[in-house]
Amino acid sequence: MALDFHELKKGGFIKQQGRDLFLMRLRAIGGHLTSRDLENIARIAAKYGRGEVHLTTRQGVEIPGVRLEQYQELIAEVKALNLLPGACGPRVRSIVACPGKEICPNGVIDTRAIAGELDRAFFGRDIPVKFKMAVAGCYNACTKPMENDVGLQGVVYPELVAGRCSLCGLCQSICPGGAIKIMNDRVSMDRKKCHGDGACIASCPNNAWVTATTGFVVYVGGKMGRNPQLGYKMFEFVPENDVVPLINSIIVVYEEKRKGQERLADVIRRLGPEVFRELIPYSGREEVAAGGGN
Amino acid sequence: MAEIKATKRLDITGDCCPITFVKTKLALEEMQPGEILEVLLTEGEPLSNVSRSLKAEGHKILQVKKIGANIYSLIVARGEEQ
Repeated sequence: MALDFHELKKGGFIKQQGRDLFLMRLRAIGGHLTSRDLENIARIAAKYGRGEVHLTTRQGVEIPGVRLEQYQELIAEVKALNLLPGACGPRVRSIVACPGKEICPNGVIDTRAIAGELDRAFFGRDIPVKFKMAVAGCYNACTKPMENDVGLQGVVYPELVAGRCSLCGLCQSICPGGAIKIMNDRVSMDRKKCHGDGACIASCPNNAWVTATTGFVVYVGGKMGRNPQLGYKMFEFVPENDVVPLINSIIVVYEEKRKGQERLADVIRRLGPEVFRELIPYSGREEVAAGGGN
Repeated sequence: MAEIKATKRLDITGDCCPITFVKTKLALEEMQPGEILEVLLTEGEPLSNVSRSLKAEGHKILQVKKIGANIYSLIVARGEEQ
C-alpha cells in the first residue's frame, strides 16, 4: 500500500478504538456546510465508514470506522467533492464561528468572511501544540471566544445623526450597557459603558444611530480541557484588516517564548498578560474605539 | 409629544420569545398600512427584540412610553406591504 505521507501529515485522519480503524475528520469553516456537502458526506460515510458521523465541538464532522487501506481513495474523494479535511495534533485547528449578522439578529459582524480569512491565513499551520480560534459575531459571545487560544468578538460602535432623532427614548430603554441617556431633549452617550452590541443601531426607528466603526475585541490565551483558563481581553478594538497580522504576531511571539509543550495560555500565565501584550508589536486602535472621548 | 391614538391594542406582557413578536406581526398583518397599533410589553428582551424586529419588517415605532415598573407601551405605525 503506497501511503501519501505528505497528505497524512496535514492531519485529520485519526486513530480510533478498534483494530485498523481510523476516523476521517472534516472541517466546516465557521460551521457552514451546503446541502450538497451534506449529501456528499452522507455518501462517503456510508461508503468508507459505517453510515454515521459524529459532530465535533469545533463544528467539524467526523466519519468513524475507516480502514487505513482506504485512506488514499477516501482523501482523493474528499478533495474531489470539495470537502475540507480537518486538523488534529500540533496545528492550527478549524475556525469556529457563529452565523453572524448574515443570519442572527444580534450579529454585528460578517463572521463567514472573517472565518474564511482566518482559515486561509492559519488553518493547518504546524505549531508546537494545538492552537484554536473562534469568532463570535456580537457581544453575546455564543462561540465562547475566551475559551480559545485566540478569540474574536465582533463589536460595532455607534454614532448619532442628531437631526434624525425624534427623542422617542427607545435606545435609552434598550441599551444593555446603560450608555445612552436623554436629558433635556439631548442624547448623550458614555462610550466607556457602550458594549458595542449595536442594539441602538438595529432598533432606532429613525435611523438616527448609525455605524461609526466595526471591529473585534480580541481574547488571547484561553483554553479548556484539563486546566481551563479563560483568555485575556488583550485588545479592546481591532479593525478587521488588522486581525490577520495581529494573530500572526501572537503566534510568532508564542513560538519564541514557549517552553516545551506549553499552550499559549501557559506562556501567558508564566510571563503575565501585560508582559505578553508588550511583546506584541501592535500599536492598537483602542483610542479610536470605546475608550476614547466622544 | 402629542398623544397618538391607536386603533388596536396588543398586550404581550405575559408572553416570551418567540410568541412576543409573532403575536405582534400577526396583529399588524390584520391592519392597513399607516394604521396604529399599541403594544404593551415588558422591558429587557421583549422590548429590545420586538423593537428590532418591527424595524426589520418595515414598521415604525412612533412613541415609547414607560407605563409601569417594567412595562412599556410602543406606538407602532404599520408599514407598507412588502
